[in-house]
Amino acid sequence: MSELSQFAFTVALVALAVGVGLYFFNVIGNRNMQLGLAGGGTLSVAGPTGFQTAAGRFATILTVNTFVFLTLSLASRAIATGHGPFANMYEFSTAFAWGAVAMFLYFEFRYKMRTLALLVLPVALGLLIYATTVPRDITPLVPALQNDLLLTVHVAVAIVSYGAFAVGFAAAVLYLAQRNDSIGWLPTQPRLEEMGYRAVLVGFPLLALTIILGALWAEIAWGTYWSWDPKETASLVTWLIYGGYLHARVIRGWRGDRSAYLLLIGFAAILMTFFGNLFFGGLHSYAG
Amino acid sequence: MEEPVVLKTEGKTSTAAARYGSLSGAKKKPGIWEVQVMGRIWRLFTSIKLALLLILWLALSTLAGTLIDQVPPGILADRFAYDQWLTRAEGRYGGWTDIMERLQLFNVFHSLIFRAIIGLLVVNIVICTMNRWRSIWNTAFHTRIRMTEGFFAHSRYNAAFDTALTASLAAERVQKTLRGSRYHVKLEANETSVALFGDRNRFSRFGTFLTHLALVMILAGAVAGGVWGFKDNEFIVAEGMTRTVPGTDVSIRVDHFADEYYIDGAPKDYKSEVALFDNGKQVKQGTIRVNSPMRYQGIAFHQAFYGQTAVMKVQDKNGSVVFNESVPLPYQTRDGSRPVGSFNLPQQGLVAYVIGPRSGEDDPLVRAGEMRIELYRQESRVGAPQNLAQGTPADLGGLSFTFERESRFTGMQVVKDPGVNIIWAASVVMILGMVALFYFRPARMWALCVTGADGTTRVHLAIPSQRDFSLESEFAKLRGKLTKALADPNITDGSRKGMDVV
Repeated sequence: MSELSQFAFTVALVALAVGVGLYFFNVIGNRNMQLGLAGGGTLSVAGPTGFQTAAGRFATILTVNTFVFLTLSLASRAIATGHGPFANMYEFSTAFAWGAVAMFLYFEFRYKMRTLALLVLPVALGLLIYATTVPRDITPLVPALQNDLLLTVHVAVAIVSYGAFAVGFAAAVLYLAQRNDSIGWLPTQPRLEEMGYRAVLVGFPLLALTIILGALWAEIAWGTYWSWDPKETASLVTWLIYGGYLHARVIRGWRGDRSAYLLLIGFAAILMTFFGNLFFGGLHSYAG
Repeated sequence: MEEPVVLKTEGKTSTAAARYGSLSGAKKKPGIWEVQVMGRIWRLFTSIKLALLLILWLALSTLAGTLIDQVPPGILADRFAYDQWLTRAEGRYGGWTDIMERLQLFNVFHSLIFRAIIGLLVVNIVICTMNRWRSIWNTAFHTRIRMTEGFFAHSRYNAAFDTALTASLAAERVQKTLRGSRYHVKLEANETSVALFGDRNRFSRFGTFLTHLALVMILAGAVAGGVWGFKDNEFIVAEGMTRTVPGTDVSIRVDHFADEYYIDGAPKDYKSEVALFDNGKQVKQGTIRVNSPMRYQGIAFHQAFYGQTAVMKVQDKNGSVVFNESVPLPYQTRDGSRPVGSFNLPQQGLVAYVIGPRSGEDDPLVRAGEMRIELYRQESRVGAPQNLAQGTPADLGGLSFTFERESRFTGMQVVKDPGVNIIWAASVVMILGMVALFYFRPARMWALCVTGADGTTRVHLAIPSQRDFSLESEFAKLRGKLTKALADPNITDGSRKGMDVV
């Protein structure tokens, strides 16, 4: 099972790397694409070349494969270790990448937003490459982590939430790049803005659930539901940042650069929360 | 999270503001100075910018708290240990140490500033929520049904259908269609027209109060825990001994402690076999492990740490036993290398310190298998320290001390937190509120069926909103259904498209 996990991981990594390349080829330089649609078909200016369309199709197929093989990798490793992907940074990075790919695919199929691939998938690729640099040995769980069910759910919810925020981050960066809708091959600013918002709508409640499940575990293992452990606090602050974003957008109608910057700060906080245990101690300091 | 839809799109902004209440807080001009100041403070706390500022401040504090070494909680309580810790910190932070200590940078998450920010944020949340109650209530229950034709023309998503049906018949079809799409429909008719208002998931709006209520409940839970709860992080009981939880009638006896390790030396399990007593009567028996505490009447016993003990017997001159207990050695000597513990001999007015050998190396002061004993009366030492070989009595201060054998203690975290149930209740409320807000999003639409002079009816349909992808597709679906329901009418779609397909 452990070998199968490794194999599937490698396949996913290669598929994703090629897929990212194809997405870039497919998306960038399609200057006429939007014009063609805005013209309502009558002003049919040249669309993507045949090569680009094919690249786009293959990119999607590769990303779906990445998702399938990452799922296989995580599942077979879970069978080998007997628990969810929460024991070390290798497992958690792979799971985070899985979350990012899953949320990207959701956005691609639900909203036809493949442009988000330009940033979400490199984030996922970076996480997988990072995962290859950390120890991946299967070591048995120390007593504190011996709460399989609760911690597996805790991490599962966390990675979907992180994945959604990675999508929000991608939308915000593209939004800021897309000044006055001047870049033809990017979606319009309002649409990117909407995508960022959709991503937070998915990620925000899940991050709350992550924190609650973490508190539940902490109460059982440590006798305290909250101990201002650095990772705990960082996740709370992250949640508050996204909460601020939602309130600013919904109540005050923030739509512009300001809310895009909030999404960037939010994702920086996510990364700090994620990598935090590498440079600070506390109850999450199991990282290898 | 209610969108200020009507205000933005209705056109008659002033009447709408009067009807629905201002969303940005009171804008009246109070006459007297005090009222003005109060008004200003109130307005400050209704500001979302203040909330963002506070959150940013929290984020920065957290960054500081993660980058700067933080004092472990146990050390902070002990003046001596804290000074030692600070000396070590000086090696790292040099001359800044003193200033950082004063700014509570070594204890960021319990610092005054940090707590003040959280307090202000909670006040901010409460005031913002109170401020919005009225407008949300009105949106949910007192909505205008009849809208002007201008309203329909100016709504972001709008359409008009012409049909040969009469207004009332058309309205009936519209109503049926909307009900089919799970809208709650209200009608208002006059001679020539019928106005309709459809509302879906209207109670979801109150989700915002649930989530904010949950935040306040969490604070209440934390306060309740702080006021009525207690926590002992170092509840030490030696094997074979019984100890009462201070302030209660509950006591715990530890029968056995065991630690297990994997082959690579990593810990596998820590477990204590215990029995619980209430007023001396046994009420529970079982094993406490790291992820399975024992709970009794709101008191929870968590496995936390363990250590070495020395079973000591003390006899007086007549040979009668004045002390015979397992003495835990949970502390470290000042040079930080030898385990140390103490016990009292109250009748003699003496305190005895028991010092164990350094572990893992040859200790010239206390050899392996020995215990060293130092005796004090108040602050002054009695006699010379003695090394006790196991089982061999030695005289000190007119008493005979015997180190019988080594044993172990278990260290538990004993917690009573009446706030914790409030916290879990708050969590449920929070999740319910968010599910309502995000996954059962409220939607509202208006329709107006007007019969013209020629007998035909024009049906207007509108969803006034900010740009919203899901509302847009929702509107498209409704339009399709109505087209069928109104039987082949001429449709004019005046929607401003927000979503370009890329």
